Amino acid sequence: MTLRRALTLLVPALAIAAGAASAHHAFTPVYDAQRTVTVQGVVTEFRFINPHSMMSIDVTDEAGKVVKWTVEFDGVLNLSEGGWTERTIVPGERLTVSGNPTHTNSPRMFFRKFVRADGTEVMRHQDTRGTTIDEQRRERARLRSQQK
Amino acid sequence: MWSDPPATAEDWFCSGWCTDAGLERLNALLDDPANDARPYDALSAEANTFQLERYVRPRLSPETLKTYPLDNASDPGFLRCQPWGLARNVVARHQLEIRRRGDERLEMRYGEWDARRTAYLDNRPRPANQPPTLMGHATARYERDALVIETTGLARDRTSFRTEHSDQLRMTERYTRSPDGKRLFLSVTFEDPVTLREPVVLKKVWSWAPASAIAPYTGCVRPTDFSTGK
Repeated sequence: MTLRRALTLLVPALAIAAGAASAHHAFTPVYDAQRTVTVQGVVTEFRFINPHSMMSIDVTDEAGKVVKWTVEFDGVLNLSEGGWTERTIVPGERLTVSGNPTHTNSPRMFFRKFVRADGTEVMRHQDTRGTTIDEQRRERARLRSQQK
Repeated sequence: MWSDPPATAEDWFCSGWCTDAGLERLNALLDDPANDARPYDALSAEANTFQLERYVRPRLSPETLKTYPLDNASDPGFLRCQPWGLARNVVARHQLEIRRRGDERLEMRYGEWDARRTAYLDNRPRPANQPPTLMGHATARYERDALVIETTGLARDRTSFRTEHSDQLRMTERYTRSPDGKRLFLSVTFEDPVTLREPVVLKKVWSWAPASAIAPYTGCVRPTDFSTGK
């Protein structure tokens, strides 16, 4: 296992949603929406709870030192709507996880995506909503162009 | 049980709170071909900024404007896991359950914070010795097809539009359903002689979700790693 930090400039849907009408659980003071980070490690705990589900994952850095990362997820309702249960992630499982890092670059992130050892990719359910809406918008644009 | 609406541009914008001004702005952005390549979240954020600046800000008192918008990092809900008061919870995302208990009262339960409140149908006054509370004292009545709830006796707390309200806040909620019964609409009016110059009216929508269940709110942890002014 190696620690891989892939800091990427982007404007994720998560950040805008979290900063919108209702600040919800105060994403912005903790996480940097403009960057993503990716780590690979072994899950030691997954808690399917409110207000936000949490995971601990042991990540071995380049020097061979094990760093315990914390990954924060959405709450039970949003995860359930995406088909998640308390068994979606199990201790001992090896995952590659991507998310928004903290402003202080501590070993913590807000979840965006994980990839299992067999290559299965699981996205944040909230992000797939944006995709659905964008598909509706493309249809709206198509109808608009037909009316001209 | 009511829960978050399906992913449509308008309903998702109002799954937290929205205003008529914000919705109008969002639709104008969506109808402009110049925005077709921009992601929905960017348009939604622009419409949100518009409603905060053009609708909410002009309605705030001079005293409130001095601290507007409040820093998310100073939010007691975030810092100390203090449950939100009604002013925020009434338009919070997630579930809402309304149960009638005889002719006397309605019991309401929210997915956010697993918060609960009672709205009295017998128009009973707030007891004189009852101090303000986070959820206040509520009375409810039916006006044709609408459920109307008026709440006073609210302890000073935050609003969803990043201000504080005083203990003189009066909230009037008006709930109506779509003709097919599958969507619930809320229009809530905030009147506060201390923090608002004019009433603020927020809108919200839910979808009927009979299988949805509210999960306990047991895992709030006080943050130790955060930045202010974000």
